[in-house]
Amino acid sequence: MSRRLLQAMTVLGILAVGSARGLAHHSAAMFDEKKTITVEGEVKEFQLTNPHSWLLVDVKDKAGKVSTWGFEAEGPSTLARAGIKPSDLRPGTKLTITGNPMKDGTHAAIWVNAVRADGKTFNPRAGFAVR
Amino acid sequence: MKRFLIPAVCSALVVLAGCKAPPAVEAPGISSAPAGSIPQRTKEQNTALGREHKTAWDLYQALKAEAKGGQKLPASMVPDWTGVYSRPADKGFTFDPDTPAGVATTAKLTPEYQARLDKRIADVKRGIEWDPISTCAPPGHPRWLTEPFLREFVPTPTQTWLINEMVNDIRRVYTDGRDHIPAEDRYPLYNGDSIGFWDGGKLVVHTNQLQGGIYQRQNPDYTDQVETVEIWQRADASTITADVWVYDPPSLAEPWYVKQAYVRLDPKQDLRIRYWNCAENQNNAVHQTQDGTTQFNGFSFDPKAGKK
Repeated sequence: MSRRLLQAMTVLGILAVGSARGLAHHSAAMFDEKKTITVEGEVKEFQLTNPHSWLLVDVKDKAGKVSTWGFEAEGPSTLARAGIKPSDLRPGTKLTITGNPMKDGTHAAIWVNAVRADGKTFNPRAGFAVR
Repeated sequence: MKRFLIPAVCSALVVLAGCKAPPAVEAPGISSAPAGSIPQRTKEQNTALGREHKTAWDLYQALKAEAKGGQKLPASMVPDWTGVYSRPADKGFTFDPDTPAGVATTAKLTPEYQARLDKRIADVKRGIEWDPISTCAPPGHPRWLTEPFLREFVPTPTQTWLINEMVNDIRRVYTDGRDHIPAEDRYPLYNGDSIGFWDGGKLVVHTNQLQGGIYQRQNPDYTDQVETVEIWQRADASTITADVWVYDPPSLAEPWYVKQAYVRLDPKQDLRIRYWNCAENQNNAVHQTQDGTTQFNGFSFDPKAGKK
């Protein structure tokens, strides 16, 4: 884990509130809802699948070593309701993404919010709003 | 804990995504349905109505008598329930959307099932939670009512299809006059066996032959003795509601009445229900650990290995 990433790790209870509740099928007990991590990287792959989609993000540390993080989100229809389209996050897209990390330190997290280099934000949980 | 989180979820959505009360969506072709004979009742009246009847079947028969035997649905009278709907997020996923913050459940549980719920909530506070549908099993009814995904409701003259996109889950309500399966041939089913009748614009449904489950995470259990009565109707141009009475003697000290609402999503979003393969991504596979909680089986973030 890079020093930069460690510095980015914060405890933001407000953002963590309810993070597991929007997830389908399996409990989110393996994630730490009281913590958030933020990493910068580029999209490796956007897996639009049920019951959860996964955004794979390659993160480079200061030494240039690349590690892949997985960010779990809702399924494709909920992402669509959140206004998140496959074309928004093509491989190579640069972004900063925040999530609730795994308790065991695995490079995976619940996707809370992502900000693309052009400033556009992507919040999967917004898909549960009825509009 | 969930009771505290529900209002916070919407608060977070308000902050993060502009979550707001759904606007009324004009539904094309909506005409006023005939009123029928069953009156609109308040929540208190419906709760009392449930208590007046010992079983779900008794309540169903009482409603049928009130509806003068009920009606089959001629093609000319099929109501227009067109649209894609979902359960409002600000209602959370609690079985009773009116559950006050800080209250575990509005159900009046038997001591055994209250103890089970208390343990479940305590376990979650310790980070231990396992959802029985983690295996990709369907939620089953009555939990079916709570899932927050896309829905379609399709009345036809002889049956009504209540569709939840999650695991392609369809409840079929037979309204052609048939009875339930004979008692000696019944066995537990995820969505049970549903029969119904129409009373004006109201679809009255009795469901039996269900199997045990949970109403939702951090909600109570129900058993395979659970039966429900529902009254489905269009409440306004953008909302379809279901009055629901749950009877389950082992777990409920008295029938549990709740009102569910499903809001029509803006057609401009062009939402389409697709096939839902719960097992399509190995990164979602989980198992129950020895201490009873949930853990991933392991990830592969290699794009070539991501999908089965």
